[in-house]
Amino acid sequence: MTAMNPPKLRIEVDHLCCVGNAMCLALAPGVFAHNESRQSEVQDPQGGSREDILEAAENCPTGAITVSDAATGETLFP
Amino acid sequence: MPATATLTDDLFAPEVIADPYTCFGRLREIEPVHWNERFSLWLVTGYDELVWILRHNELFSSAVIKDAAAPPYPPVDPADVPLFDEIRDFRADQLVEKDRPEHFDQRSVVHGYFTPKAMEKWRPFVRAAVEELLDDIQPKGAMDVLNEFAAPLPVRIIAEMMGVPYKDRDRLRAMADGILYINRGEPYRFRPLVEAIRGIVDYAAPLVEERIEGDGDDFISVLAGGETRGVFTRHQVLVNTGLLLFAGHETTMNLICNGLLSFIRHPEQWERLRADPAGMVRLATEECLRYDPPVKSTQRVVAEDVDLGGRTMRKGQRIRWIMAAANRDPKVFSHPDEFDIGRQPNPHLSFGSGIHYCLGATLARVEGQEVFRALAERFERFELAGGPIEYQPSLQFRSVKSLPVRWPA
Repeated sequence: MTAMNPPKLRIEVDHLCCVGNAMCLALAPGVFAHNESRQSEVQDPQGGSREDILEAAENCPTGAITVSDAATGETLFP
Repeated sequence: MPATATLTDDLFAPEVIADPYTCFGRLREIEPVHWNERFSLWLVTGYDELVWILRHNELFSSAVIKDAAAPPYPPVDPADVPLFDEIRDFRADQLVEKDRPEHFDQRSVVHGYFTPKAMEKWRPFVRAAVEELLDDIQPKGAMDVLNEFAAPLPVRIIAEMMGVPYKDRDRLRAMADGILYINRGEPYRFRPLVEAIRGIVDYAAPLVEERIEGDGDDFISVLAGGETRGVFTRHQVLVNTGLLLFAGHETTMNLICNGLLSFIRHPEQWERLRADPAGMVRLATEECLRYDPPVKSTQRVVAEDVDLGGRTMRKGQRIRWIMAAANRDPKVFSHPDEFDIGRQPNPHLSFGSGIHYCLGATLARVEGQEVFRALAERFERFELAGGPIEYQPSLQFRSVKSLPVRWPA
C-alpha cells in the first residue's frame, strides 16, 4: 500500500533533542512511538491526520520534531 | 569498608553545599546508584541511570511529598512541626507531584502556554525588561547581581504572565522569597514557608474568582480554565499559581548568577561570547545550565521494586537524583569539568527528562539567552567585589547568597 500511497508528510525526530516528554505520543498516537530508550520515533507517518501531526510537533517542548511536505520538501514545522 | 566510606554522608555538610561537584562526582565514579543511610534515600549520580529513572515514570513516582514523614530533612523547631501538614497539603497538590494519568491531564492545561513557539512571543518583553533594568544598573559601576538584577527580572516577567500589575512586585517577591525555603536546612524554615503559602492563596484567590468566567490568556486564566473543564480543583489552581511564581523565580535567579559567575571565572569564555553575543548565546546558555545548574537535584519515590546499577530499590524508598553530577558524567560529556560555551551537542539534564521535563524550560532559555546576550553586549568584563561565594543550605537549589560584582566605567 505504501508504494501506492506514499506518505504526504516527512516527519523527523532529532534524538539529540528528544527528552521523551511523550506529548507527541499522546497527540498523535498512531504516528509516534517510543523506542527502547523511550525517545520518540516515527512509527507510521500516515498514522494520523496532518493536524494532529503538526499539533504534536508544535507541542514538543524541545522542538525535536520537524515536519515537511514529502513531495515538495516545503517545511511545515517549525 | 565500602569505597564510599571516605565520602561524607551528610548532604548538608558545608563542603558539599559549597562544592557539590567534587563529592557527587566521586560518588558517580564509585557507585552511581548509592544508598545513603543517614538520609534513608538513594542517591543517583550517573547520567544513564538518571535518564533511565526519569523515562520510567511508571516505576518512579513523583508524589514525593504526599506520604512524606514530618519533617523529612534536618529537624525543625518542635513548635513548628504542626505546620508541616499545611506545607504538605499545598505542595502535594502541585502538578509536579502528580503521576499519570492525572499528571497528563493537568500538564495539558498549561503545556501549550510554554511551547517553544509560544514562548518566542515573550522574547521582546523579556528583552525590554532586561535592557530597562541594565539601563539603571550600568552607570553604578557595581551591583549585587542577585538582588539588583537576577531577582527583580523574573518577578517582572511572572507578574506580566500572571496578568497582575508590576506595582505588586514587592508582594510577589516576598511570597517567592518565602517559598524558597522548600528543601532548605534552617530549623525555622517552616515559618517563612507557611507565611508565603498563605500569602499566595490570599493573593491569587480573588484573581481566580474574577477570571474563571472569562477567556483571558494570562497564566491564571489558563489555570482557571482547567478548573472549568474539571481537570483542576480550585485548590490546585491556587497552588499551581504559586508553582509558577516559585519555579520561575529561584531557578532563573540561579541561572543568571551561576552563569555569570562561570563567565567571571573563565574570562576567555566571556571574550568568546563578547565576540559574537547573538551568535553564541544559545549554546552558551546551555553550557551555563550544564556546568553549574540552577537545580542540583530533585526527588522520586520508588513505585515498585526495581533493579538498577546492581542494586535493588524497594517500593516506597526515596531517590534523590543529582543532575549536577550527571551533567559532568565523562561517559557523555568530553572534558566534563571544563566550561566550554561552544559545547555541542549538550544533552544536559538541568531540566530533567521524560514526562516531567521542566515546563518552564522554554522560558528559562529565553531569559538566559536575553540576559547573557545583553550583558555581553554592554560589559567588557566583571570582577568579583565581595568575599568568598556562599551558597544557601539547600539540597535542591544551587543558590548563591549574594553576588557582588563591579566593572570598569
